[in-house]
Amino acid sequence: MWALRGLRHGVLTTRWPARPDEYAAATRGPATVFAPSADGADLARLCPVGAISPDPLRIDKGACILCGRCVAARPDVVGWSAGPAQAAITRTGLVVPAQETEQSLAAVSAGLRARTTALRRSVHLRHVDAGSDGSEEWEILALLNPVYDIHRLGLFFTASPRHADVLLVTGAGGHGMAGPLRETYDAMPHPKVVIAVGTDAVGGGIVSPSYATSGGVGDIVPVDVWLPGSPPSPFAILSALLLALGRLPDALPSPVSGEQR
Amino acid sequence: MSGYGAVLAVGLILLAVAAAADLLAGVRRPAWRPVPYLIGTAGSACLLTAGAAALAGRSVALRSAGLLGTVAITTGASGTGGRGVTPAAGANGHVSLFADLAGLGADRLSGLFLVVAFAAAVAVSLAFASWAAGTGRAGDTAGPARRGLGAGYALALGSVAVVLTAQDAFTFLFGWESLTLAFWLLAGFRRHAPGRPLAALITLAFGRVSGACLLAGLVLLATRSGSLALADLAHVAPGPLRATAVVLLLAGFAVKVGMVPFQVWLPRGYAAAPGPARAIMAGVAVNVGFYGLWRTLALLGPPPAVVTDILLILASATAVLGIAHAAVQGSLQRVIAYSSVENTGLILAGFGVALIGAARGSHSLVAVGLLAATLQVIAHTAAKSLLFCSSAGIEAAAHSDDLDSLRGSARLAPWSGTGLAVGSLTLAGLPPTAGFVSEWFLLEALMQQFRVPGLGDRLVLAITGAAVALTAGFAGVTFVRLIGLVVLGRPLREGRASGADAGLGGRLCIAVLGVACLALAALAPLEIRLIGAGLAPVLPAGAVTAALRSPWVLQPVFAGFSILSPSWLWIVMPALLVVVGAGAWLLSGRRPLHVRRVPAWRSATAGVTGHDSYTAFGFANPTRRVLAAVLHTQAEVTRLEAEEPDIDGDSGRDAAPHVEYSSDVVEVVDEYLYRPFRMPFRMLVQFAQRLQSGRLGAYLAYMLVALLAVLAVVTGLH
Amino acid sequence: MTATAGLGSTSADNLTVSWERVAAEVAAGGRLADLFATARGDRILITAQVAARGGMMTIDVLLPPGQHSYPALTPLVRAAFWYEREIHDLFGIVPAGHPRLEPLVLPASGGELPRPGDPRQPAAIWPDPAALPLHVIGPGMFTIPHGPVRSGVVESIEYLVETPGEDIPHLNMRPFYKHRGIEKRFERMHPGDGVLLAERTEGIASVAHAIAYCQALEAIAGTDVPWPAALVRVLHAELERLACHLDVIVRLADGAGLAVATARFGWHKERVLRLTGQLCGSRFGRGVVVPGGVTFPPLLAPARILAAVSELDRQLSPDIRLLLGSASFLDRLRRTGPLPADRAAEHGALGPVGRASASTDDARVARAYGAYSSLGLTVSSRRDGDALARLEVRVDEIESTVHLLRQVADELGEAEPGQLRADCPAADGRALAWAEAPQGEVLYDVCINEGRITRCRSRSASFHNLVLMHEVFAGDILTDFPFIEASFGLSVAGVAG
Repeated sequence: MWALRGLRHGVLTTRWPARPDEYAAATRGPATVFAPSADGADLARLCPVGAISPDPLRIDKGACILCGRCVAARPDVVGWSAGPAQAAITRTGLVVPAQETEQSLAAVSAGLRARTTALRRSVHLRHVDAGSDGSEEWEILALLNPVYDIHRLGLFFTASPRHADVLLVTGAGGHGMAGPLRETYDAMPHPKVVIAVGTDAVGGGIVSPSYATSGGVGDIVPVDVWLPGSPPSPFAILSALLLALGRLPDALPSPVSGEQR
Repeated sequence: MSGYGAVLAVGLILLAVAAAADLLAGVRRPAWRPVPYLIGTAGSACLLTAGAAALAGRSVALRSAGLLGTVAITTGASGTGGRGVTPAAGANGHVSLFADLAGLGADRLSGLFLVVAFAAAVAVSLAFASWAAGTGRAGDTAGPARRGLGAGYALALGSVAVVLTAQDAFTFLFGWESLTLAFWLLAGFRRHAPGRPLAALITLAFGRVSGACLLAGLVLLATRSGSLALADLAHVAPGPLRATAVVLLLAGFAVKVGMVPFQVWLPRGYAAAPGPARAIMAGVAVNVGFYGLWRTLALLGPPPAVVTDILLILASATAVLGIAHAAVQGSLQRVIAYSSVENTGLILAGFGVALIGAARGSHSLVAVGLLAATLQVIAHTAAKSLLFCSSAGIEAAAHSDDLDSLRGSARLAPWSGTGLAVGSLTLAGLPPTAGFVSEWFLLEALMQQFRVPGLGDRLVLAITGAAVALTAGFAGVTFVRLIGLVVLGRPLREGRASGADAGLGGRLCIAVLGVACLALAALAPLEIRLIGAGLAPVLPAGAVTAALRSPWVLQPVFAGFSILSPSWLWIVMPALLVVVGAGAWLLSGRRPLHVRRVPAWRSATAGVTGHDSYTAFGFANPTRRVLAAVLHTQAEVTRLEAEEPDIDGDSGRDAAPHVEYSSDVVEVVDEYLYRPFRMPFRMLVQFAQRLQSGRLGAYLAYMLVALLAVLAVVTGLH
Repeated sequence: MTATAGLGSTSADNLTVSWERVAAEVAAGGRLADLFATARGDRILITAQVAARGGMMTIDVLLPPGQHSYPALTPLVRAAFWYEREIHDLFGIVPAGHPRLEPLVLPASGGELPRPGDPRQPAAIWPDPAALPLHVIGPGMFTIPHGPVRSGVVESIEYLVETPGEDIPHLNMRPFYKHRGIEKRFERMHPGDGVLLAERTEGIASVAHAIAYCQALEAIAGTDVPWPAALVRVLHAELERLACHLDVIVRLADGAGLAVATARFGWHKERVLRLTGQLCGSRFGRGVVVPGGVTFPPLLAPARILAAVSELDRQLSPDIRLLLGSASFLDRLRRTGPLPADRAAEHGALGPVGRASASTDDARVARAYGAYSSLGLTVSSRRDGDALARLEVRVDEIESTVHLLRQVADELGEAEPGQLRADCPAADGRALAWAEAPQGEVLYDVCINEGRITRCRSRSASFHNLVLMHEVFAGDILTDFPFIEASFGLSVAGVAG
């Protein structure tokens, strides 16, 4: 009897973001800089995607594919960013150490807020795969399992973009999917929010540069929230969604970047 | 002759004038083409008035003695004795053979059917007039090609009037045969089109069969009653003769309305007729069959119980078979024609309940059965006329009959499309149309089976109830296909050649009939009162009006079972619409019509050539599979041979289709009942043809033999 | 690990001879494993890999310069159907006699073509919808285009369902939307970086792809992987297999509407992914397998690994038993999407799809690699070939995976701690290696020259198996489609390349 089987283990769902969750806090994000003053020339050579620029030492988290070479080589200088808050509302917001000022981000954040105020409590998501490797879809689908259960937060997946408020895009922007992605975006009614999920979507990942990809989806649709990760874990995706909707509990007045210790 | 009798006579005369106008004036000038139909409209209006008067209880009579006495044949003074026609002295001293003929007259039952039939006839005549005036040369599908259509139309309407107002058997049969002739003329009007001659012949054949059955039955009764007057036939003593006669009469009327196994002529005959002539045949003239059945019940009471059970079983079979075929046809006219078969089944089911009630002596059961059947007759008349007039308009606009090429043609012909939609909703039995009220009553009538004491009757009623419910479900599927694809569908190719939509008369007809389909539901209590008045010859007063629990609430005659209020529906549903609309207006920032027009979402496909959404054929495919037992569906997937691909460059550009699907349904009655008899029938016909030798001597010999046989029979009978 | 050496370069005259040899091997019980082309200057080298007689046979044929057409292999060996279409798309050469040469991964009408093996990297190539063929179907049928943006969170692929309204006599697929040009991206990469790209070719089978790639590099360099590293590779590969099979069960239960089953198996899959994350930091086992071994030991002690696996098995087995006893669920799968055994054998169907249709081929057993040679493993197979058989094969594999994981945990506990990564010097050469991904066998043919990859052919099991979807719709209706797709369990990323 499936009904009885379902009751067997009680409530499995996490209480995040209302209560802290230790798996969420241990989520591994892209590499980040701990010692900004260090010399990064050897690290720049080590990075296979060129996410590290040496002078001054900066890491573009949006290009990091979490290969771990820099962390293994210089654990005193770079390390993994932890926690679920990995997303940023501007592309340059993913470069650490942070570059942008509060004012420049406040404008972007205000624009985002204006669009999402009306739909904060009941949101419909539409996902489009623009040339991903298949793992980001697993992580997005994981949001539906009883551990994460996005329905409790009022988020639902919908099949038709006409009913969707948020567009989740994965994949490096393959040329074959540029047209369908654009069509899907156009089919969505205003107000709409676009979230680029995964390093492939943010910056092209290691698959770009290629004759068949666009180096991320930023050139195809206007992206509002950039979420790096290869692939980003479900808590990171959830955090990016709540960031887009302005529902992160510690997001006052506007979240800048996900840099945490 | 009373005052309203004069109106009756004027109506008939106007129809005769219309026929004459058509035959004499012809179709040369486009301006003259609508004239016969306009005259026919006036004639129908007169007949409608006469019917209304009869329904209200006024006397409507048209004596024939004054008219026909001058052409009487004198006979010998001895006459023929007790049985048969007794001669009477005419006013001029001539003995008139026709003196017994009581002429024409209408009581309440006739009045009811006159109102129903000729109200529809008025509207259809207007549509006919504008259809005939449609642009085009002779031979065009819009408009008659040569003279004769108007004559056939007028003959049909005149015959209907005569049948409905006949007071004696001879006039009745005369009208009946004229109607058969009119049907043959209408069905065979376009005899150069494929399939039409056969359709007309089958229509004629079945019409003659029904006439033969009626002749046999009436003559049987007349010999026993001693007079041809219909009223006198009621006095025949009960016995095997009366029972046989009743069965023969029921059979004759059943052939006319198209009950299984006689329904094979209906789809062919109706689909073969041109334009709004179909509406005349299927919407107006079919009511004579139902009138005959009602009149048989009124005069002669119910048949033996076995016959009633068989009637109910055949009615349910008719309903299911009719809707099963309607759901899978590819031609618009055939869908509507098969829907007539289905409605026949429904009406006969209600009639069967009335027969059972009559056999048990329960007036309430008779009332609920007849009420359900009559409501369905009225709803069917309005909806079928509307459907066939609309389909004529669509056919004229789109020049095609195939459902797949008629997609979205309501955009070419908005009025006809709306008419098609309203008619489809009515026949599908959706609230708040009249069809919903009648189907509700029918199902309620069948549900009263627990009040019937006999187990056999109960079982049969339960089976019929299940069949009717099944039919109602598939009717939904059938008409959704029509509305969804033909009316609301997306046209496959833009910019098709379009004829004009229905003219002024057609639009008037569609408006009147469409409003009627909807208003009959809102004014259902009024309709029930009128039906109660009309059924006076059958039921005591008040038996039918017991269906009105309160001025606007209906119940199935028996109290405490169930209620329905279509009038309140008509208030509540628009009110909800207004409330929702107001809410939408408020919530949309007072700009509810600020819409974004975008192409439909097709999952961002790169596109395919050819059909890329459900076709009419494909939509009916699940029905073909589910009802495969009834339809004997045979489906076949054939892999076509692949052509050699063109290697250089355009590989696959002209690729041959690689898979083909074909599906065929079989009309089981046609296949298994009639087809085996084709060979013997043909041999019989070939034998009979030998009699037509063309030799004068042979014909004289036949006449001599026939005279000797008649003398022998007459002498022997004394 | 290569098998018998290739026949070397031959001229086009011997192409027919080579094709006949391939056909003979396939007829004698082998199967065509791969068929691809490499640009060598202005000549094109066509390579066929045939799995025969317990090993892999490589047959290379070099076409004469300037030749743009060659006799097709498909009329002799049907399994080459999609491979030759891919070659045509990427190189522009035409297989003469191919029954239906339509674009598969890159519809392009003229212009520059990628030509893997050619050192030039082309500019951006946009797929041209006008190059798609006119799709003519017979009367009575219409086409429902489903995709590429489909309902649900799924990968992008377009299915053209030709139907008369209820059944599906024919199905067309268009996978070109997700083409990323992976094979071209491999070129000019440093071999050490290539493993990162191999992991992201088919993201749900990262570990298997990484293992196959690294084994090719190790074969070129002649390196032996240390025993503990081989065990860690098996550990991650089996966890990945477990996750993939659980994902298939989740999709099947979701299609059947069993909400509790979907939730519970989703929970089990989440626990497997979390366990993988705890062992190496990445939920998909990325960053573990590198040429020469593994990067670091598992972050959990073997005893804890054993405990976690046992706990997982304890929760999982009753749910699987209950699922296989739910009559309404089994009813949806029984006789749905049947793949006849002879067709599977002719095509050489891989993975659970093949093993459900009477094949017994499993790369871990038939051509054992890594630690699998020393670990006990039984291959399960079924005869029916329908969706239920594929599910049962996966259930058996889950059981044997759990058994393998326990074995590995025990062995890791007993193994002496030592180095986990042997030195894998950069060497030039070419090698073929394989691994058994959850979808089936993955092949990597890597060619290194002057310390850079010049050609890396990665053939995933999804590419080989997806073409069989054309043939499994015998009498099924539209509502069976999700079950058939889920029971195949393939990844479109591996198909589109």
